[in-house]
Formats: sequence, structure tokens, C-alpha cells
Amino acid sequence: MGTSAFVLFGFLLFCLGLFGVLSRRNIIVVLLSIELIFAAAGINFIVFSGIWHNLTGQVFTIFLIAVAAGEAAIGLGLLIALYRIKHSANIDVANELKG
Amino acid sequence: MMVLWILLIAFISICAIGVVFSKSPITSAVSLLVGFIGVAVLYLALNAEFVAAVQVLVYAGGIMVLYIMGVMMTDNQALRLARQTHFQTLPVLGLVLVLFVWMGYRLYHSSYEPVPVSPPAAAAPAVPGTSAAPAKVPEESNTKRIAMVMYSDYLYPFEAASVLLLVAVLGGVFLAKKEV
Repeated sequence: MGTSAFVLFGFLLFCLGLFGVLSRRNIIVVLLSIELIFAAAGINFIVFSGIWHNLTGQVFTIFLIAVAAGEAAIGLGLLIALYRIKHSANIDVANELKG
Repeated sequence: MMVLWILLIAFISICAIGVVFSKSPITSAVSLLVGFIGVAVLYLALNAEFVAAVQVLVYAGGIMVLYIMGVMMTDNQALRLARQTHFQTLPVLGLVLVLFVWMGYRLYHSSYEPVPVSPPAAAAPAVPGTSAAPAKVPEESNTKRIAMVMYSDYLYPFEAASVLLLVAVLGGVFLAKKEV
């Protein structure tokens, strides 16, 4: 397996996550798709950390996981707040700003 | 060896497809949980043991439990029977396919060889995955070397990440409580 295959695999995960973010209605699935994009970034960090013999990529992956944890906390807080107001977890019910 | 890599990548890809295309959110969450364990195995195979351990502990143990509890708290019958996708699904599918084919072609045919900057450890395996030689055991473990880098070069980002997590958790609690 060369580096190109790993980069292509990371890009496949990114594209699946992008499709999930843009096409699904449920907020939870949108957040899970964002986690897929995080995983794609993490795989690229680890692969390039390996071929450059540089540990910065692995340290950045740990920071990435910390940011993902914060994103999950904020996202689920917003989800609970939206569900309390709208009684729905779909993102297209929050359309008050639509012209 | 090659077969194992292909199996692992196919496993993670199938889990990712299950996240995006499954009907119910709980199936998506469990599929992502299993897929993240596969990603941890991939990290382990790429000589990043500490990150693999953190991936299992934080993602599979913490974040996914949070998501599954979120699914539990926001589930109802009407939501389950409603349509799961937007009206723009087909255009987005076409757009993402075009992006994947075009940009994936460019990415696959790019060169990723590192610039030779007088490598200190030239005996280490050049490309991850192609190395089958267990001869050269590194003198320090992966965890120890990560700690050296993280607590010297990246000390301030590390502290900033702790503040970020504190603020995020407090913000999540504040957003989710009643009478916002």
C-alpha cells in the first residue's frame, strides 16, 4: 500500500462525510458525518507523520480528537435545545431565518 | 499483508457507508462506533499506538456514548417515520461523485515522497505498510516520544485544548438546560 492509496482512502471518507452532511435531515447523522470528516483528516495526519518520520502529525491527531469531543458536546447541546423548542431533530425545521 | 490492508480499508469504508446511508440514527451511530474501532486498528498498523489507544478510549468510549444518548433523548415516532434526506440529495450525490472522481484522480497521481532533509533515522521503514522488517526496534516507545513532543513544542496548544474542552462542556450544558 503506497501513500497514494491512503490519501485516496481518506478522501473517500471525506466525500462520504460531505454527502452525509449535505443530504441527511437528522442532526445526529449530520454530526456523525462530521466525525467521518474528522477521521479522514486524522488518517492523513497519521500517514504523513509516518512517511516524514515526524511526530507532529500524531500530536495534531490527538488535538483533533480533543476538538471532536468539544464539537460533540456543543452539537448535542444545540440538538437538545432545538428538540425542546421544535420537538423534532431535523435540521430543516429551524427555518425562521428563511426569507 | 496486502490482503489485510484491503480488508481493513474495505471494513472502514463499509462502516462509513452504513453511517451515511442507513435509515435510523441509532444504526448510523453504532456503525460509526464499529468503524472507529477499525480506524484505531489502522492507526495501530501505521505505528501510531498511542493515538490508536486515544481513539478507542475517547471516541468509542466517550463521544459515541454521548451520541447514542443524544439519539435516545431525541427519538420519537414521527421523526422515525419522516423522510430522512433532503430534497437536494440527488444533486449533492452527483456533485460529490464528480468531486471524488476528479479530485481523487488528481490525488492518486500526485507524488508524496518526502523531501530529503538529512533524515536522522534513515533505517526506519520508508513508507508505512510496506515495511515487513521487525529488525529495527526503536529505542523509545511511541508514547514516550509523543510525550516529548507534546510537552515541549506543543505545550501551549495542549493547555489551550484543555481550556477549549472546559468551555465546550460548559457551553454544552448551558445550551441544553431549560430557559436558555
